[in-house]
Amino acid sequence: MSATAVASALEVQSVSKSFGGLKAVNDVSLTVRPGEIFSVIGPNGAGKTTFFNLLTGIYEPDEGSVRFFGKDITGMSPDKVAAQGIGRTFQNIRLFAAMTVLENVLIGHHIHTHSSYLDAMLRTPRHLEAERRAKERAMELLDYMGLARRAGELATSLPYGEQRRLEIARALALEPKLLFLDEPAAGMNPQETDRLKEDVRRLRKELGLTIVLIEHDMSMVMSISDRIAVLEYGSKIAEGLPAEIRTNTRVIEAYLGKGAAGQAGGRA
Amino acid sequence: MLEGLLALLPQVIFDGLLLGFVYAMIALGYTMVYGVLELINFAHSEIFMIGAVVGVEVFRYLAPVIPNGVVVLVLALILGAIISGVMAMIVERLAYRPLRARGTTNRLVPLITAIGVSFVLQDLVRLVEGIWHNEFKLQMRLIPPLDGNFTFLTVFIQYKALILILVSLLMLVGLNYLVNRTKLGTAIRAVAQDMNTARLMGINPDVIISRTFLIGGALGGVAGVLFAVQYSTIDPYVGFLPGLKAFTAAVLGGIGNITGAMVGGLVLGQMETLAGTYLPTLTGGNFGTEYKDVIAFLILILLLLFRPQGLLGQVVKEKV
Repeated sequence: MSATAVASALEVQSVSKSFGGLKAVNDVSLTVRPGEIFSVIGPNGAGKTTFFNLLTGIYEPDEGSVRFFGKDITGMSPDKVAAQGIGRTFQNIRLFAAMTVLENVLIGHHIHTHSSYLDAMLRTPRHLEAERRAKERAMELLDYMGLARRAGELATSLPYGEQRRLEIARALALEPKLLFLDEPAAGMNPQETDRLKEDVRRLRKELGLTIVLIEHDMSMVMSISDRIAVLEYGSKIAEGLPAEIRTNTRVIEAYLGKGAAGQAGGRA
Repeated sequence: MLEGLLALLPQVIFDGLLLGFVYAMIALGYTMVYGVLELINFAHSEIFMIGAVVGVEVFRYLAPVIPNGVVVLVLALILGAIISGVMAMIVERLAYRPLRARGTTNRLVPLITAIGVSFVLQDLVRLVEGIWHNEFKLQMRLIPPLDGNFTFLTVFIQYKALILILVSLLMLVGLNYLVNRTKLGTAIRAVAQDMNTARLMGINPDVIISRTFLIGGALGGVAGVLFAVQYSTIDPYVGFLPGLKAFTAAVLGGIGNITGAMVGGLVLGQMETLAGTYLPTLTGGNFGTEYKDVIAFLILILLLLFRPQGLLGQVVKEKV
Protein backbone atom coordinates (compact mmCIF):
# COMPACT_ATOMS: atom_id res chain seq x y z
CA MET A 1 0.00 0.00 0.00
CA SER A 2 1.67 3.20 -1.12
CA ALA A 3 0.92 6.47 0.60
CA THR A 4 -1.26 7.68 -2.25
CA ALA A 5 -3.25 4.47 -2.74
CA VAL A 6 -6.87 4.74 -1.76
CA ALA A 7 -6.45 3.15 1.61
CA SER A 8 -8.18 6.09 3.21
CA ALA A 9 -11.66 7.40 2.74
CA LEU A 10 -10.66 10.62 4.38
CA GLU A 11 -7.18 11.84 5.03
CA VAL A 12 -6.86 15.04 7.01
CA GLN A 13 -3.38 16.47 7.28
CA SER A 14 -2.38 19.15 9.77
CA VAL A 15 -5.53 21.18 9.33
CA SER A 16 -5.78 24.49 11.18
CA LYS A 17 -8.33 27.27 11.28
CA SER A 18 -8.32 30.51 13.23
CA PHE A 19 -11.04 33.06 13.78
CA GLY A 20 -9.46 36.33 14.75
CA GLY A 21 -6.97 35.38 17.41
CA LEU A 22 -8.75 32.18 18.35
CA LYS A 23 -7.35 28.97 16.99
CA ALA A 24 -10.51 26.91 16.62
CA VAL A 25 -8.81 23.93 15.00
CA ASN A 26 -5.12 23.44 15.54
CA ASP A 27 -2.99 21.11 13.47
CA VAL A 28 -5.39 18.17 13.41
CA SER A 29 -4.53 15.11 11.36
CA LEU A 30 -6.49 11.91 11.08
CA THR A 31 -7.23 9.13 8.66
CA VAL A 32 -10.57 7.41 8.22
CA ARG A 33 -10.54 4.08 6.43
CA PRO A 34 -13.19 3.07 3.93
CA GLY A 35 -16.16 1.42 5.63
CA GLU A 36 -15.19 2.65 9.05
CA ILE A 37 -17.43 4.19 11.67
CA PHE A 38 -15.27 6.94 13.06
CA SER A 39 -16.27 9.28 15.87
CA VAL A 40 -14.94 12.67 16.80
CA ILE A 41 -15.64 13.57 20.39
CA GLY A 42 -14.60 16.29 22.76
CA PRO A 43 -15.96 18.70 25.34
CA ASN A 44 -18.19 21.59 24.28
CA GLY A 45 -16.25 24.17 22.33
CA ALA A 46 -13.52 21.70 21.41
CA GLY A 47 -13.82 22.68 17.75
CA LYS A 48 -15.67 19.60 16.52
CA THR A 49 -18.24 21.39 14.38
CA THR A 50 -15.61 23.78 13.02
CA PHE A 51 -13.59 20.72 12.12
CA PHE A 52 -16.60 19.27 10.24
CA ASN A 53 -17.10 22.57 8.49
CA LEU A 54 -13.51 22.49 7.30
CA LEU A 55 -14.03 19.05 5.84
CA THR A 56 -17.29 19.91 4.06
CA GLY A 57 -16.03 23.14 2.50
CA ILE A 58 -17.98 25.61 4.62
CA TYR A 59 -14.67 27.00 5.85
CA GLU A 60 -11.39 26.85 4.05
CA PRO A 61 -8.53 25.66 6.26
CA ASP A 62 -5.74 28.19 6.91
CA GLU A 63 -3.28 25.35 6.69
CA GLY A 64 -3.31 21.67 5.93
CA SER A 65 -5.11 19.52 3.42
CA VAL A 66 -8.10 17.23 3.14
CA ARG A 67 -8.15 14.26 0.82
CA PHE A 68 -11.24 12.26 0.01
CA PHE A 69 -10.51 8.83 -1.46
CA GLY A 70 -7.19 10.20 -2.61
CA LYS A 71 -8.61 13.36 -4.17
CA ASP A 72 -7.61 16.73 -2.78
CA ILE A 73 -10.77 18.55 -1.72
CA THR A 74 -9.10 21.28 0.34
CA GLY A 75 -10.84 24.61 -0.17
CA MET A 76 -13.50 23.24 -2.53
CA SER A 77 -16.87 24.97 -2.29
CA PRO A 78 -19.50 23.06 -0.28
CA ASP A 79 -21.56 22.12 -3.34
CA LYS A 80 -18.49 20.66 -5.04
CA VAL A 81 -17.54 18.75 -1.90
CA ALA A 82 -21.07 17.37 -1.73
CA ALA A 83 -20.89 16.38 -5.38
CA GLN A 84 -17.72 14.38 -4.65
CA GLY A 85 -19.89 12.08 -2.54
CA ILE A 86 -19.95 13.56 0.94
CA GLY A 87 -23.34 13.84 2.60
CA ARG A 88 -23.98 15.40 5.97
CA THR A 89 -26.57 16.02 8.62
CA PHE A 90 -26.65 18.89 11.06
CA GLN A 91 -26.39 19.42 14.78
CA ASN A 92 -29.46 21.64 14.61
CA ILE A 93 -31.82 20.04 12.16
CA ARG A 94 -31.76 21.97 8.91
CA LEU A 95 -34.56 20.53 6.84
CA PHE A 96 -36.35 22.68 4.29
CA ALA A 97 -39.25 23.52 6.55
CA ALA A 98 -41.75 24.61 3.94
CA MET A 99 -41.27 21.50 1.83
CA THR A 100 -42.67 18.04 2.07
CA VAL A 101 -40.66 15.08 3.26
CA LEU A 102 -40.40 13.83 -0.32
CA GLU A 103 -39.26 17.19 -1.67
CA ASN A 104 -36.52 17.36 0.93
CA VAL A 105 -35.13 14.08 -0.32
CA LEU A 106 -35.49 15.22 -3.94
CA ILE A 107 -33.27 18.20 -3.13
CA GLY A 108 -30.65 15.77 -1.95
CA HIS A 109 -30.98 13.95 -5.25
CA HIS A 110 -30.69 17.18 -7.24
CA ILE A 111 -27.26 16.55 -8.74
CA HIS A 112 -28.30 13.11 -9.94
CA THR A 113 -31.47 14.21 -11.69
CA HIS A 114 -30.51 14.91 -15.26
CA SER A 115 -32.90 16.88 -17.37
CA SER A 116 -32.18 20.17 -19.05
CA TYR A 117 -34.33 23.24 -18.51
CA LEU A 118 -35.54 23.07 -22.05
CA ASP A 119 -36.65 19.50 -21.38
CA ALA A 120 -38.45 20.71 -18.29
CA MET A 121 -40.24 23.54 -20.08
CA LEU A 122 -41.37 21.29 -22.89
CA ARG A 123 -42.10 18.38 -20.58
CA THR A 124 -40.28 15.99 -22.89
CA PRO A 125 -40.41 12.25 -22.16
CA ARG A 126 -36.79 12.49 -21.05
CA HIS A 127 -37.72 15.09 -18.48
CA LEU A 128 -40.73 13.18 -17.20
CA GLU A 129 -38.65 10.03 -16.99
CA ALA A 130 -35.88 11.81 -15.06
CA GLU A 131 -38.37 13.32 -12.63
CA ARG A 132 -40.11 9.98 -12.20
CA ARG A 133 -36.86 8.17 -11.50
CA ALA A 134 -35.81 10.83 -9.00
CA LYS A 135 -39.12 10.40 -7.20
CA GLU A 136 -38.80 6.64 -7.23
CA ARG A 137 -35.32 6.81 -5.76
CA ALA A 138 -36.46 9.29 -3.12
CA MET A 139 -39.31 6.99 -2.15
CA GLU A 140 -36.91 4.05 -1.87
CA LEU A 141 -34.72 6.03 0.49
CA LEU A 142 -37.69 7.14 2.57
CA ASP A 143 -38.77 3.54 2.75
CA TYR A 144 -35.26 2.56 3.77
CA MET A 145 -35.35 5.02 6.63
CA GLY A 146 -38.89 4.00 7.56
CA LEU A 147 -40.49 7.26 6.46
CA ALA A 148 -42.35 6.26 3.31
CA ARG A 149 -45.79 6.85 4.79
CA ARG A 150 -44.75 10.40 5.71
CA ALA A 151 -43.74 11.35 2.14
CA GLY A 152 -46.49 13.90 1.58
CA GLU A 153 -46.29 15.62 4.95
CA LEU A 154 -44.47 18.83 5.71
CA ALA A 155 -40.98 18.12 6.98
CA THR A 156 -41.53 20.10 10.17
CA SER A 157 -44.64 18.15 11.10
CA LEU A 158 -42.56 15.05 11.80
CA PRO A 159 -41.59 14.08 15.33
CA TYR A 160 -38.02 14.86 16.25
CA GLY A 161 -36.52 11.41 15.77
CA GLU A 162 -38.09 11.14 12.33
CA GLN A 163 -36.75 14.54 11.32
CA ARG A 164 -33.30 13.25 12.17
CA ARG A 165 -33.88 10.19 10.03
CA LEU A 166 -35.20 12.39 7.23
CA GLU A 167 -31.94 14.33 7.33
CA ILE A 168 -30.12 11.06 6.85
CA ALA A 169 -32.42 10.05 3.98
CA ARG A 170 -31.78 13.42 2.35
CA ALA A 171 -28.03 12.99 2.75
CA LEU A 172 -28.29 9.48 1.27
CA ALA A 173 -30.03 10.89 -1.81
CA LEU A 174 -26.69 12.43 -2.75
CA GLU A 175 -25.51 8.85 -3.12
CA PRO A 176 -22.51 9.59 -0.95
CA LYS A 177 -19.54 7.44 -0.16
CA LEU A 178 -19.07 9.15 3.15
CA LEU A 179 -21.60 10.45 5.60
CA PHE A 180 -20.93 13.10 8.25
CA LEU A 181 -23.37 12.97 11.11
CA ASP A 182 -23.19 16.02 13.38
CA GLU A 183 -24.52 14.99 16.80
CA PRO A 184 -27.19 12.70 15.40
CA ALA A 185 -28.37 11.59 18.83
CA ALA A 186 -28.75 15.10 20.25
CA GLY A 187 -32.14 15.49 21.87
CA MET A 188 -33.17 11.89 21.26
CA ASN A 189 -34.81 9.66 23.82
CA PRO A 190 -33.20 6.25 24.52
CA GLN A 191 -35.47 4.39 22.08
CA GLU A 192 -34.68 6.83 19.32
CA THR A 193 -30.97 6.56 20.08
CA ASP A 194 -31.14 2.77 19.88
CA ARG A 195 -32.85 3.01 16.53
CA LEU A 196 -30.20 5.47 15.37
CA LYS A 197 -27.43 3.08 16.35
CA GLU A 198 -29.06 0.35 14.31
CA ASP A 199 -29.50 2.72 11.37
CA VAL A 200 -25.86 3.74 11.40
CA ARG A 201 -24.69 0.13 11.50
CA ARG A 202 -27.12 -0.78 8.74
CA LEU A 203 -25.89 2.07 6.51
CA ARG A 204 -22.39 0.80 6.80
CA LYS A 205 -23.29 -2.84 6.33
CA GLU A 206 -25.84 -2.55 3.55
CA LEU A 207 -24.66 0.53 1.68
CA GLY A 208 -20.95 0.21 2.39
CA LEU A 209 -20.80 3.79 3.64
CA THR A 210 -17.97 5.29 5.60
CA ILE A 211 -19.43 7.20 8.51
CA VAL A 212 -17.87 9.99 10.51
CA LEU A 213 -19.81 11.30 13.44
CA ILE A 214 -19.57 13.94 16.10
CA GLU A 215 -21.39 12.85 19.19
CA HIS A 216 -21.91 13.69 22.82
CA ASP A 217 -23.70 10.52 23.83
CA MET A 218 -20.80 8.43 25.13
CA SER A 219 -22.68 5.16 25.34
CA MET A 220 -23.55 5.49 21.67
CA VAL A 221 -20.05 6.49 20.64
CA MET A 222 -18.47 3.66 22.59
CA SER A 223 -20.83 1.03 21.24
CA ILE A 224 -20.80 1.83 17.53
CA SER A 225 -17.42 3.40 16.73
CA ASP A 226 -14.55 1.45 15.26
CA ARG A 227 -12.20 4.23 16.22
CA ILE A 228 -12.45 7.53 18.02
CA ALA A 229 -10.54 10.81 17.89
CA VAL A 230 -10.75 13.26 20.76
CA LEU A 231 -10.46 17.02 20.32
CA GLU A 232 -9.81 19.53 23.06
CA TYR A 233 -9.32 23.26 22.48
CA GLY A 234 -9.03 22.56 18.76
CA SER A 235 -6.23 20.03 19.07
CA LYS A 236 -6.37 16.28 18.82
CA ILE A 237 -5.40 14.83 22.17
CA ALA A 238 -6.07 11.15 21.52
CA GLU A 239 -7.07 8.65 18.89
CA GLY A 240 -7.76 4.95 19.18
CA LEU A 241 -10.18 2.13 19.77
CA PRO A 242 -13.13 2.79 22.08
CA ALA A 243 -11.52 0.73 24.83
CA GLU A 244 -8.33 2.76 24.57
CA ILE A 245 -10.15 6.06 24.63
CA ARG A 246 -12.19 4.97 27.63
CA THR A 247 -9.08 4.48 29.70
CA ASN A 248 -7.01 7.32 28.25
CA THR A 249 -5.96 9.61 31.09
CA ARG A 250 -5.83 12.77 28.99
CA VAL A 251 -9.31 12.18 27.66
CA ILE A 252 -10.75 11.63 31.10
CA GLU A 253 -9.08 14.79 32.31
CA ALA A 254 -10.41 16.73 29.36
CA TYR A 255 -13.94 15.69 30.18
CA LEU A 256 -13.93 15.52 33.93
CA GLY A 257 -11.01 17.71 34.97
CA LYS A 258 -7.64 16.79 36.39
CA GLY A 259 -7.62 14.14 39.04
CA ALA A 260 -10.65 12.44 37.65
CA ALA A 261 -8.71 9.66 35.97
CA GLY A 262 -9.73 6.30 37.27
CA GLN A 263 -13.46 6.95 37.21
CA ALA A 264 -13.56 6.21 33.52
CA GLY A 265 -16.44 5.19 31.32
CA GLY A 266 -20.08 6.09 31.35
CA ARG A 267 -21.47 9.32 30.02
CA ALA A 268 -19.33 12.37 29.85
CA MET B 1 -76.35 58.07 -11.83
CA LEU B 2 -75.89 54.68 -10.16
CA GLU B 3 -77.23 52.94 -13.23
CA GLY B 4 -74.73 54.68 -15.42
CA LEU B 5 -71.94 53.66 -13.11
CA LEU B 6 -73.04 50.05 -13.04
CA ALA B 7 -73.35 49.92 -16.80
CA LEU B 8 -69.70 50.86 -17.03
CA LEU B 9 -68.61 48.28 -14.51
CA PRO B 10 -67.97 45.23 -16.75
CA GLN B 11 -65.77 47.32 -19.04
CA VAL B 12 -63.86 48.76 -16.12
CA ILE B 13 -63.27 45.36 -14.62
CA PHE B 14 -62.05 44.01 -17.94
CA ASP B 15 -59.62 46.91 -18.39
CA GLY B 16 -58.44 46.48 -14.82
CA LEU B 17 -57.82 42.84 -15.51
CA LEU B 18 -55.56 43.71 -18.45
CA LEU B 19 -53.51 46.12 -16.41
CA GLY B 20 -53.48 43.66 -13.54
CA PHE B 21 -51.99 40.90 -15.64
CA VAL B 22 -49.21 43.20 -16.82
CA TYR B 23 -48.43 44.12 -13.21
CA ALA B 24 -48.65 40.48 -12.17
CA MET B 25 -46.12 39.34 -14.73
CA ILE B 26 -43.63 42.05 -13.80
CA ALA B 27 -44.27 41.45 -10.11
CA LEU B 28 -43.25 37.81 -10.52
CA GLY B 29 -39.74 38.86 -11.51
CA TYR B 30 -39.46 41.07 -8.44
CA THR B 31 -40.80 38.47 -6.11
CA MET B 32 -38.71 35.56 -7.43
CA VAL B 33 -35.46 37.49 -7.12
CA TYR B 34 -36.49 38.72 -3.69
CA GLY B 35 -37.21 35.13 -2.74
CA VAL B 36 -33.71 33.87 -3.45
CA LEU B 37 -31.62 36.96 -2.66
CA GLU B 38 -33.81 39.22 -0.51
CA LEU B 39 -32.87 41.85 -3.04
CA ILE B 40 -35.32 44.33 -4.52
CA ASN B 41 -34.05 44.26 -8.05
CA PHE B 42 -35.09 47.71 -9.25
CA ALA B 43 -33.40 47.02 -12.58
CA HIS B 44 -36.30 44.67 -13.29
CA SER B 45 -38.36 47.67 -14.51
CA GLU B 46 -35.77 48.14 -17.23
CA ILE B 47 -35.76 44.46 -18.10
CA PHE B 48 -39.47 44.92 -18.70
CA MET B 49 -38.81 48.06 -20.76
CA ILE B 50 -36.27 46.18 -22.88
CA GLY B 51 -38.95 43.59 -23.63
CA ALA B 52 -41.27 46.39 -24.77
CA VAL B 53 -38.58 47.86 -27.04
CA VAL B 54 -37.86 44.42 -28.51
CA GLY B 55 -41.58 44.10 -29.20
CA VAL B 56 -41.67 47.39 -31.09
CA GLU B 57 -38.56 46.55 -33.08
CA VAL B 58 -39.78 43.11 -34.06
CA PHE B 59 -43.01 44.61 -35.37
CA ARG B 60 -41.12 47.42 -37.10
CA TYR B 61 -39.06 44.94 -39.12
CA LEU B 62 -41.27 41.89 -39.44
CA ALA B 63 -44.76 43.33 -39.78
CA PRO B 64 -44.07 44.53 -43.37
CA VAL B 65 -42.71 41.09 -44.25
CA ILE B 66 -45.01 38.71 -42.44
CA PRO B 67 -48.67 39.51 -43.00
CA ASN B 68 -50.03 37.63 -40.01
CA GLY B 69 -49.94 39.66 -36.80
CA VAL B 70 -50.21 36.62 -34.56
CA VAL B 71 -47.10 35.07 -36.07
CA VAL B 72 -45.19 38.32 -35.61
CA LEU B 73 -46.40 38.53 -32.02
CA VAL B 74 -45.27 35.00 -31.25
CA LEU B 75 -41.83 35.83 -32.63
CA ALA B 76 -41.77 39.05 -30.65
CA LEU B 77 -42.71 37.22 -27.46
CA ILE B 78 -40.01 34.61 -27.93
CA LEU B 79 -37.35 37.18 -28.77
CA GLY B 80 -38.49 39.48 -25.98
CA ALA B 81 -38.34 36.64 -23.46
CA ILE B 82 -34.88 35.59 -24.59
CA ILE B 83 -33.34 39.06 -24.75
CA SER B 84 -34.84 40.24 -21.45
CA GLY B 85 -34.04 36.95 -19.75
CA VAL B 86 -30.43 37.01 -20.90
CA MET B 87 -30.12 40.71 -20.00
CA ALA B 88 -31.34 39.94 -16.47
CA MET B 89 -28.79 37.13 -16.24
CA ILE B 90 -25.99 39.40 -17.43
CA VAL B 91 -26.97 42.06 -14.89
CA GLU B 92 -26.87 39.47 -12.14
CA ARG B 93 -23.54 38.13 -13.30
CA LEU B 94 -21.85 41.52 -13.65
CA ALA B 95 -23.45 43.58 -10.92
CA TYR B 96 -24.83 41.39 -8.14
CA ARG B 97 -22.73 38.24 -8.08
CA PRO B 98 -19.42 40.07 -7.50
CA LEU B 99 -20.99 41.69 -4.44
CA ARG B 100 -22.03 38.28 -3.11
CA ALA B 101 -18.60 36.85 -3.83
CA ARG B 102 -17.07 39.62 -1.72
CA GLY B 103 -19.39 38.66 1.09
CA THR B 104 -21.16 42.02 1.16
CA THR B 105 -23.66 41.71 3.97
CA ASN B 106 -25.09 45.22 3.90
CA ARG B 107 -28.34 44.84 1.98
CA LEU B 108 -28.31 48.49 0.94
CA VAL B 109 -25.29 47.92 -1.27
CA PRO B 110 -26.93 45.62 -3.85
CA LEU B 111 -30.06 47.78 -3.65
CA ILE B 112 -28.13 50.89 -4.67
CA THR B 113 -26.38 48.83 -7.35
CA ALA B 114 -29.80 47.82 -8.67
CA ILE B 115 -30.90 51.44 -8.90
CA GLY B 116 -27.65 52.26 -10.69
CA VAL B 117 -28.15 49.40 -13.14
CA SER B 118 -31.63 50.72 -13.75
CA PHE B 119 -30.32 54.11 -14.89
CA VAL B 120 -27.58 52.53 -16.97
CA LEU B 121 -30.08 50.33 -18.84
CA GLN B 122 -32.49 53.22 -19.45
CA ASP B 123 -29.84 55.37 -21.05
CA LEU B 124 -28.23 52.46 -22.85
CA VAL B 125 -31.52 51.75 -24.60
CA ARG B 126 -31.98 55.46 -25.26
CA LEU B 127 -28.51 55.58 -26.81
CA VAL B 128 -29.07 52.51 -28.96
CA GLU B 129 -32.45 53.71 -30.19
CA GLY B 130 -31.03 57.17 -30.77
CA ILE B 131 -28.27 55.83 -32.98
CA TRP B 132 -30.41 53.19 -34.63
CA HIS B 133 -33.58 55.11 -35.51
CA ASN B 134 -33.03 58.52 -34.00
CA GLU B 135 -36.30 58.06 -32.13
CA PHE B 136 -37.19 58.61 -28.51
CA LYS B 137 -40.87 57.74 -28.57
CA LEU B 138 -41.30 54.37 -30.19
CA GLN B 139 -44.59 53.65 -31.88
CA MET B 140 -45.95 50.12 -32.09
CA ARG B 141 -47.03 49.22 -35.63
CA LEU B 142 -49.78 46.69 -35.26
CA ILE B 143 -51.11 44.65 -38.12
CA PRO B 144 -54.26 42.52 -38.45
CA PRO B 145 -55.69 40.64 -36.77
CA LEU B 146 -54.17 42.24 -33.67
CA ASP B 147 -55.92 45.56 -34.22
CA GLY B 148 -59.37 43.96 -34.43
CA ASN B 149 -62.05 44.11 -31.79
CA PHE B 150 -65.55 43.02 -30.92
CA THR B 151 -68.17 43.75 -28.32
CA PHE B 152 -69.22 41.05 -25.95
CA LEU B 153 -72.37 41.99 -24.04
CA THR B 154 -71.48 45.57 -23.24
CA VAL B 155 -67.74 45.08 -23.07
CA PHE B 156 -65.54 46.42 -25.83
CA ILE B 157 -62.79 43.85 -26.32
CA GLN B 158 -59.71 44.17 -28.49
CA TYR B 159 -58.17 40.99 -29.83
CA LYS B 160 -54.79 42.05 -28.51
CA ALA B 161 -56.32 42.35 -25.04
CA LEU B 162 -57.58 38.79 -25.22
CA ILE B 163 -54.14 37.64 -26.32
CA LEU B 164 -52.55 39.52 -23.44
CA ILE B 165 -54.77 37.76 -20.92
CA LEU B 166 -54.28 34.38 -22.53
CA VAL B 167 -50.50 34.64 -22.71
CA SER B 168 -50.22 35.91 -19.12
CA LEU B 169 -52.39 33.09 -17.88
CA LEU B 170 -50.22 30.56 -19.69
CA MET B 171 -47.07 32.11 -18.25
CA LEU B 172 -48.46 32.10 -14.73
CA VAL B 173 -49.60 28.51 -14.92
CA GLY B 174 -46.29 27.49 -16.49
CA LEU B 175 -44.33 29.26 -13.79
CA ASN B 176 -46.34 27.60 -11.05
CA TYR B 177 -45.64 24.24 -12.63
CA LEU B 178 -41.96 25.03 -12.97
CA VAL B 179 -41.55 26.19 -9.40
CA ASN B 180 -43.63 23.53 -7.70
CA ARG B 181 -43.18 20.47 -9.84
CA THR B 182 -39.75 20.45 -11.42
CA LYS B 183 -36.24 19.84 -10.25
CA LEU B 184 -35.20 23.41 -11.02
CA GLY B 185 -38.20 24.77 -9.12
CA THR B 186 -37.46 22.61 -6.12
CA ALA B 187 -33.88 23.82 -6.18
CA ILE B 188 -35.03 27.45 -6.42
CA ARG B 189 -37.26 26.95 -3.40
CA ALA B 190 -34.45 25.24 -1.54
CA VAL B 191 -32.05 28.12 -2.22
CA ALA B 192 -34.76 30.60 -1.22
CA GLN B 193 -35.31 28.84 2.09
CA ASP B 194 -31.76 28.08 3.09
CA MET B 195 -28.96 28.78 0.70
CA ASN B 196 -26.25 27.25 2.86
CA THR B 197 -28.00 23.95 3.40
CA ALA B 198 -28.87 23.76 -0.29
CA ARG B 199 -25.20 24.19 -1.05
CA LEU B 200 -24.36 21.23 1.17
CA MET B 201 -26.82 19.17 -0.85
CA GLY B 202 -24.61 19.73 -3.89
CA ILE B 203 -26.65 22.61 -5.30
CA ASN B 204 -24.61 25.53 -6.61
CA PRO B 205 -26.62 28.60 -5.54
CA ASP B 206 -24.98 30.80 -8.18
CA VAL B 207 -26.37 28.59 -10.93
CA ILE B 208 -29.84 28.59 -9.38
CA ILE B 209 -29.78 32.35 -8.83
CA SER B 210 -28.74 32.84 -12.42
CA ARG B 211 -31.66 30.69 -13.60
CA THR B 212 -34.01 32.63 -11.37
CA PHE B 213 -32.95 35.88 -13.04
CA LEU B 214 -33.34 34.23 -16.43
CA ILE B 215 -36.89 33.11 -15.70
CA GLY B 216 -37.92 36.35 -13.98
CA GLY B 217 -36.34 38.37 -16.78
CA ALA B 218 -38.05 36.31 -19.47
CA LEU B 219 -41.42 36.88 -17.78
CA GLY B 220 -40.62 40.59 -17.62
CA GLY B 221 -39.74 40.53 -21.32
CA VAL B 222 -43.01 38.85 -22.25
CA ALA B 223 -44.87 41.41 -20.13
CA GLY B 224 -42.96 44.17 -21.95
CA VAL B 225 -43.90 42.91 -25.41
CA LEU B 226 -47.56 42.56 -24.42
CA PHE B 227 -47.47 46.02 -22.83
CA ALA B 228 -46.12 47.54 -26.04
CA VAL B 229 -48.79 45.76 -28.07
CA GLN B 230 -51.53 46.91 -25.73
CA TYR B 231 -50.52 50.48 -24.99
CA SER B 232 -48.69 51.30 -28.25
CA THR B 233 -46.28 54.09 -27.30
CA ILE B 234 -42.99 53.20 -25.66
CA ASP B 235 -39.88 55.05 -24.58
CA PRO B 236 -36.76 54.07 -22.64
CA TYR B 237 -38.26 55.35 -19.40
CA VAL B 238 -41.55 53.53 -19.77
CA GLY B 239 -40.52 50.80 -17.32
CA PHE B 240 -40.39 53.07 -14.31
CA LEU B 241 -44.04 53.48 -13.37
CA PRO B 242 -45.31 49.98 -14.25
CA GLY B 243 -42.21 48.59 -12.57
CA LEU B 244 -42.83 50.58 -9.42
CA LYS B 245 -46.45 49.49 -9.38
CA ALA B 246 -45.52 45.88 -10.02
CA PHE B 247 -43.12 46.06 -7.12
CA THR B 248 -45.98 47.47 -5.08
CA ALA B 249 -48.14 44.59 -6.26
CA ALA B 250 -45.49 42.12 -5.12
CA VAL B 251 -45.44 43.73 -1.67
CA LEU B 252 -49.21 43.89 -1.59
CA GLY B 253 -49.44 40.16 -2.29
CA GLY B 254 -46.64 39.33 0.14
CA ILE B 255 -43.17 39.67 -1.31
CA GLY B 256 -41.39 36.42 -2.02
CA ASN B 257 -44.69 34.69 -2.67
CA ILE B 258 -45.49 33.79 -6.27
CA THR B 259 -49.24 33.45 -5.95
CA GLY B 260 -49.18 36.63 -3.89
CA ALA B 261 -47.50 38.52 -6.72
CA MET B 262 -50.23 37.45 -9.14
CA VAL B 263 -53.02 38.34 -6.74
CA GLY B 264 -51.33 41.61 -5.84
CA GLY B 265 -50.99 42.55 -9.50
CA LEU B 266 -54.62 41.82 -10.27
CA VAL B 267 -55.86 43.68 -7.18
CA LEU B 268 -53.74 46.74 -7.93
CA GLY B 269 -54.87 46.74 -11.56
CA GLN B 270 -58.51 46.74 -10.45
CA MET B 271 -58.06 49.41 -7.80
CA GLU B 272 -56.32 51.71 -10.22
CA THR B 273 -58.85 51.28 -13.01
CA LEU B 274 -61.84 51.57 -10.70
CA ALA B 275 -60.44 54.70 -9.09
CA GLY B 276 -59.59 56.17 -12.47
CA THR B 277 -63.08 55.64 -13.80
CA TYR B 278 -65.30 56.46 -10.88
CA LEU B 279 -63.36 59.15 -9.09
CA PRO B 280 -64.44 62.02 -11.36
CA THR B 281 -68.11 61.00 -11.19
CA LEU B 282 -68.18 60.31 -7.48
CA THR B 283 -66.50 63.56 -6.55
CA GLY B 284 -68.50 65.63 -8.99
CA GLY B 285 -65.41 66.29 -11.03
CA ASN B 286 -63.33 67.66 -8.17
CA PHE B 287 -60.87 64.82 -8.45
CA GLY B 288 -60.08 63.70 -11.96
CA THR B 289 -58.76 60.46 -13.36
CA GLU B 290 -55.24 61.67 -12.68
CA TYR B 291 -55.82 60.86 -9.01
CA LYS B 292 -56.17 57.16 -9.70
CA ASP B 293 -52.64 56.38 -8.52
CA VAL B 294 -53.20 58.35 -5.34
CA ILE B 295 -56.30 56.34 -4.54
CA ALA B 296 -54.70 53.04 -5.46
CA PHE B 297 -51.69 53.72 -3.28
CA LEU B 298 -53.81 55.05 -0.41
CA ILE B 299 -55.65 51.75 -0.37
CA LEU B 300 -52.30 50.00 -0.45
CA ILE B 301 -51.00 51.99 2.51
CA LEU B 302 -54.15 51.23 4.49
CA LEU B 303 -53.98 47.56 3.64
CA LEU B 304 -50.37 47.29 4.68
CA LEU B 305 -51.14 49.01 7.97
CA PHE B 306 -53.38 46.10 8.83
CA ARG B 307 -51.53 43.34 6.99
CA PRO B 308 -47.87 44.32 6.83
CA GLN B 309 -46.97 40.86 5.54
CA GLY B 310 -49.16 41.41 2.47
CA LEU B 311 -52.31 39.65 1.36
CA LEU B 312 -50.84 36.16 1.22
CA GLY B 313 -47.77 36.80 3.29
CA GLN B 314 -48.89 34.80 6.28
CA VAL B 315 -49.65 31.43 4.85
CA VAL B 316 -46.35 31.21 3.15
CA LYS B 317 -43.09 30.64 4.91
CA GLU B 318 -42.09 29.35 1.55
CA LYS B 319 -40.70 32.17 -0.50
CA VAL B 320 -39.52 32.14 -4.01
